[in-house]
Amino acid sequence: MHLSYFLSAFIYIYTVMLDMDEHHFTFGKSLTLMQNDSKLIELLRIKDERALSALYDKYSGAIYSVILKMIRDEGKAQDLLQQTFMTVWEKAESYDINKGRFYTWVYRIAKNKTLNVLRKNNPLIQTDDFSVYNKKEEAISIDPEYLELNGAVSTLEAHHKEAIELVYFKGLTHREAHKAMNVPLGTFKSYIRQALKKLRETYVETLSFMLLILNAL
Amino acid sequence: MMMDKKTLLEDGLLEQYMLGELNAKECEQIEQLLLSDTELKAHFNLLEEDFERIGLENTIAPPEFVKSQLLDAIKPPKSKDTLIVALQKDTNTKFYLGIAASVTALLLVGSFWMYSQLNDVQQQLQTVEVNNTELNTTIETLNTELERNNTFFKGIVNADTEQYILSGNDLMPNAKVISYINHKAKSVVINTERLPELDADHDYQMWADVEGEMINMGIISKDKTLMTMAYIDHTESLNITIEAAGGNDHPTVERLVTNVYLR
Repeated sequence: MHLSYFLSAFIYIYTVMLDMDEHHFTFGKSLTLMQNDSKLIELLRIKDERALSALYDKYSGAIYSVILKMIRDEGKAQDLLQQTFMTVWEKAESYDINKGRFYTWVYRIAKNKTLNVLRKNNPLIQTDDFSVYNKKEEAISIDPEYLELNGAVSTLEAHHKEAIELVYFKGLTHREAHKAMNVPLGTFKSYIRQALKKLRETYVETLSFMLLILNAL
Repeated sequence: MMMDKKTLLEDGLLEQYMLGELNAKECEQIEQLLLSDTELKAHFNLLEEDFERIGLENTIAPPEFVKSQLLDAIKPPKSKDTLIVALQKDTNTKFYLGIAASVTALLLVGSFWMYSQLNDVQQQLQTVEVNNTELNTTIETLNTELERNNTFFKGIVNADTEQYILSGNDLMPNAKVISYINHKAKSVVINTERLPELDADHDYQMWADVEGEMINMGIISKDKTLMTMAYIDHTESLNITIEAAGGNDHPTVERLVTNVYLR
């Protein structure tokens, strides 16, 4: 079990190294960018377009991914992405860097906007009737590649992966998600806890592995 | 909700807080706990860090146009553009107003012209009407005159008409009156063309002498040269005297200016 986990982490690192020149080398990239975030956010507050442009470049892909997975419609997802960053631009002053990361703030804006659109389209969504939600999901066709999960989370066990997917990427609340998975709320919460723990371990190991390689080089 | 560190961690409340699933009150409580508990804050920081990392690992690049649309949308509206649009609108309005004003002006000028024309025509019509009336009067006068002259002419040229000339006596040697008498038609017409003019206080009066008695034939009009006088049966002579204006019942014999005996 531990070996396979380590192996998958190794494979992950390997892929990351291969993609180093592209955006997928997120680890190193995010480290450097994170340092610049506070500076960029300061500039964003004083309505510097370049700051918005830079923050968009950094986070739009991740946010777009979440919106797409929630709404399953590329046109609507693009509209929502634009609206989200419009709100980021307009409400930059209300973001409190001490309360959380910029990504989390943008993610919440995007999620709320997407849920509003989904509720407008089908008032039954966000009620207890998940059959409606599921039917809705099946009805819309989208490139299945957009719905696949990548990175560390893809290495998780199926039920852990699904739990994370439901709350992180599909916008369900914990209460909705446990019904969707058809497990008790407590069990669902422990899935999340375990999944997050494993992800953390993966990242820590990745970091040590990276440092090891860097030292060797 | 009871909030202690253990519940928070076991219940996944931090995740829910991070994902925005909690209400305002719960958020506030968690925020206070995060402020007071550095260990908890560190845990939350890792949670967020991992959350972001998962997100970034699942990046799907959105189409380029979304970014360009976004950057276009946040640009402050160019006042210049707005101004141009406003001006264009203004120009258009002015253009149409100008057309409307021109048309109105033309209509006004046209109306004034038509009005003056109407006045002219009315005046001309009035003149024509006056002229027409005058002409009618003239025609009437002429007709009357013609009728009268015809009557005189017929009377004068009639085969039964006899002509007598009254020549002036010593009192008025230059006087000459021609009289035309038709006994059948019982008419007397005289031509007073050569009778000298009298002053306003006097008139010529004509008398017929019947068996020694002078009978009035009428006052000779001052403004006519040819006139009809009263016909008296059995007239022996015609006499003209000067009388006071308006005539007299009996002739003033001393002022007889001319006379002629009938044959």
